[in-house]
Amino acid sequence: MSFVGSNNKKVDSWRVFLFFGIMIAVVLFYVYRLFSMQVLEGDNYLAAAEGNRVKELSVQTQRGIIYDRNGFVLARNVAAYNIVITPALLPEDEGSTQKIYRELSKIIGLPVNQGDIEDEETVRNFTPCFNDLGIAEIVYMGTTNAPFRPIQVSCDVDPEIAMIVREKVSVWPGVDIEVEPVREYPTGQLTSEIIGFLGPISAVEADYYEELGFVTERDKVGYSGIEASMNEELMGLSGKRTVEVDGAGQVIRDLELPIAPVPGTNIRLTIDTRLQSAAKTALINEMEFWNRRLPEPQFNNGAVIAMDPRTGEILALVSYPTFENNRMARVIPGYYYNQLQEDPQKPLLNHAISAEHPPGSVYKMAAAIGALNEGVVPTDKKLFDPGKITIVQKFTPNDPGVPIDFVCYTYKDTGAGHGDVNFFEGVALSCDVYFYKIGGGYLDEVPDGGLGVLRLAEYAKALGYGSETGIELFGEGDGIVPTPAWKRRNVGENWSTGDTYIATIGQGYVLATPIQVLLSFATIANDGKQMKPTLIYEQLDNEGNVVVPFSPTMTKDITQDKVIQIFDEDGLPTGEYKSVDPWAIEMAQEGMRLAVLDGTATNVMDGFTISNAGKTGTAEYCDNVAQEKGICERGAWPSHAWYAGYAPYEDPEIVVVTFVYNGKEGATLAAPVVRKVMESYFELKAIDAGLETAP
Amino acid sequence: MFNRSFWRQFDYLLFGTVLILCVFSVAMIQSAIAGNEDIADSVNKQLIFVIGGIVVMFVVAFVDYRYLASLTSIMYIFSFLLLMGIFIIGSALYGSARWFDTGVILIQPSELVKIIMIVILADYFAKTQNQPKNLFWIAKSFIMTAGIVVWILLQPNLSMSIVIFVIWFSLLWYGGLPTKYLIIFGIVGLVVGIIGFNYLEPYQQERILTFAFPDPNARHGNEFNVEQAKISIGSGGLFGQGYGHGTQVQLRFLKVRHTDFIFSAISEEFGFVGTLVIIALLLFVVIRCFRIGQSSSDMFGALIAYGVGTLLFFQMAVNIGVNLNVIPVTGLTLPFVSYGGSSMISLMLAIGFVQSVSAHRHTT
Repeated sequence: MSFVGSNNKKVDSWRVFLFFGIMIAVVLFYVYRLFSMQVLEGDNYLAAAEGNRVKELSVQTQRGIIYDRNGFVLARNVAAYNIVITPALLPEDEGSTQKIYRELSKIIGLPVNQGDIEDEETVRNFTPCFNDLGIAEIVYMGTTNAPFRPIQVSCDVDPEIAMIVREKVSVWPGVDIEVEPVREYPTGQLTSEIIGFLGPISAVEADYYEELGFVTERDKVGYSGIEASMNEELMGLSGKRTVEVDGAGQVIRDLELPIAPVPGTNIRLTIDTRLQSAAKTALINEMEFWNRRLPEPQFNNGAVIAMDPRTGEILALVSYPTFENNRMARVIPGYYYNQLQEDPQKPLLNHAISAEHPPGSVYKMAAAIGALNEGVVPTDKKLFDPGKITIVQKFTPNDPGVPIDFVCYTYKDTGAGHGDVNFFEGVALSCDVYFYKIGGGYLDEVPDGGLGVLRLAEYAKALGYGSETGIELFGEGDGIVPTPAWKRRNVGENWSTGDTYIATIGQGYVLATPIQVLLSFATIANDGKQMKPTLIYEQLDNEGNVVVPFSPTMTKDITQDKVIQIFDEDGLPTGEYKSVDPWAIEMAQEGMRLAVLDGTATNVMDGFTISNAGKTGTAEYCDNVAQEKGICERGAWPSHAWYAGYAPYEDPEIVVVTFVYNGKEGATLAAPVVRKVMESYFELKAIDAGLETAP
Repeated sequence: MFNRSFWRQFDYLLFGTVLILCVFSVAMIQSAIAGNEDIADSVNKQLIFVIGGIVVMFVVAFVDYRYLASLTSIMYIFSFLLLMGIFIIGSALYGSARWFDTGVILIQPSELVKIIMIVILADYFAKTQNQPKNLFWIAKSFIMTAGIVVWILLQPNLSMSIVIFVIWFSLLWYGGLPTKYLIIFGIVGLVVGIIGFNYLEPYQQERILTFAFPDPNARHGNEFNVEQAKISIGSGGLFGQGYGHGTQVQLRFLKVRHTDFIFSAISEEFGFVGTLVIIALLLFVVIRCFRIGQSSSDMFGALIAYGVGTLLFFQMAVNIGVNLNVIPVTGLTLPFVSYGGSSMISLMLAIGFVQSVSAHRHTT
């Protein structure tokens, strides 16, 4: 064979050698690189491959259940069904995907296309479950964020709808049903001030909780109430799985034995939901009863607390108004939270433990016990109440002073006083002038300046004022028990003689929370033994075994423990302490008994078959709210209504305090609520004992 | 043709090495499927491609390559029409009209054209070897090449276009390109490259940019693939994790592991030693091609063999370079190993041409 133009001339060898040179250089470079990657750095890459393959998963645990003292559920976990779509698992072709969207849309009622995802604002604010986007837009958001993570398209759907969708899951690749535990509060607003609510783990605490195996986007923590204060116990421990995953993030198998989650401790509260309901209803009804008779509602917030003085068990704790914690079960809706925050009645504040108000006449019991224990007056000594006394207001011992009038509450109506009153009548009638005299001294009638502010403060503190009671709720107020030192520090002014008179009747600088008032009465009712108020009855494990049983804690016994500081004549502490004579407490009890039998609370307790004792309080105040309203008129200031009482008188089982903000008369607004709570308590007790009251 | 001289001059070492690579390819694809249903039939398909490729190789090898010289005009027209046709009526897959969908398999004509171009250009440079090596000589070959490549560029398929220009340039080089033009081309190439970048399709620009400036946060797309490839290669160590035991491959962290990134899969399962063997085998094939070129009886045969050798090396170097993350991601396959019918058949066709050059070297 012969071909035209072909001959034997060859390619220059150097040209081929040059190519070979390049080839060898490239290959050597590759070999070097392979050597360095595989042999020198092989371990690092192997670790990276392990990091790809091995994932630690947190297994969600169950939050503890909260019961009331009778085992009634106050907080539990229920399943919520979410419809989720995993963008990466949707069919490849757009047509099939659209078909799934359309069919799903018909079932769940969410449009396929809705909203504008070109809008940066929408994209930035995008929250699964809470958005106005259509299915396609939500999936698009998911695709750009994490295509292998299921994104919630529709949340908390009806279980029936969830069932319908679940049947379709096999033919709709990418669509699935997610079961999410959501907290449910069967009693809602009735107990929300006690139970509180949950919220997401905040960025500040994220490290702490992640260390414990919780997942910030999944697990929730308590934000208020028992949910917050007992959060550690309720949360339990997340489980852990070390698994092998594939490139799509799918779990292939467990690499280690999974560590099962430990469910949170169940908590049984001391609260009796029935009594809680009775107390809340009584308070709301009482306020509404009077509000209806006024041109505009005046009584809008208040608190009721009932406790067993012998053990410190809180049986009911009402703060009104409060919030609906079920609305915050899944997520805290911004508009609702803002509404609560801006409400002038402060529903997010637990008025029963956090609100500090002048306690008024209920504070007189501190002065009463102090005066007896210090021997300021004998119980039978009659002091004269003309309705108005004039004393000299002095800021220093040598201050010539300015005379000021101090009136009894009867003066503005009748222009007269209570006349001659002894200790018991003083307490029973809540005679202001009697207390002015024993508290600050009066001429020769009560010489040497009476009890005096320093000793008054000692007895107030002994009863529980001026410090937190230690109840298992966050945000407790500690109130103010004013002393000259306190005034110099906080007001920048010397203590005046007038301040002592005002402090004796629980006004002026004195501030107390309802639970402090409750504790002081419980201490008197329990003959000086002060029990720590508690909401926790016992803690139970998942199987119902008691892990932490109930044991009442006695804070102090003021008749035994030396809690009263002794001062010398110049008002300097001697460093010595004494206790309170049980007799003084007994006399105080008798005074309060007389208040019910023949005193300020006689009318309201009329016909109540169980023997009881109590003390009214009408605390004048002029806070910023009142100032804004312009109701602070000198001589006719607005006042809070207080009543604290206990029953049965002989062997007290229940002590109840009621506070109504701007509630005027304690006897009118607060005392009836206390009576209703007590009546309910004894009715419930009878029911529980199987003794039906009426056929 | 079926005479003893054919079988005597047939290069058994070349054929044997290619066969080893092909068998290994089938085995490696089996491992690379890693439970992915969508590519589960790749093994059987690749086996068919290998057998088909061997048949093609023998058929082509039997034909004396010198006949091809007379067919280059027809080949050129055929290639031109084929590529123009696919550009106009080709189905739009992966955003580019590269494929003919036969219903059973997708055919990528540019793979075939790439091999044909070797023959066409080898013929041109062989026929013009005694002409002056001036700009006209260069320009004519360039225009011939560009006439074909333009359709491939329009698809758009940048990497294949580059491959064909590399073939053109290498044959131009072996054909006797004067050194002064090489320097001029170097400068012109650089300038055109910079200007040309602006005319690339966005996704092509993006590939080059992600290579030059990797985004550390990117989890999906090329950056992710390349990162996983690096981890796969590195985790292989000295001896590899064993066939079917590479976690990156078997748990599907490594993407496109049966085609573009099969080298990473090999690296993970067979380690440094395994990759050296594969590189050595491929290099041996390249060297055999050059040996055949050297011993061929004419310039045409030599240029075909050199052209195929250069093409094989270029594809291998680029593919491994992509796997090692030293050059941007392209769609070039690892010769004889990556899954793909068009690629396999085309490369077998090229080996067929080389075998023809070898087997018919002393028939004149």
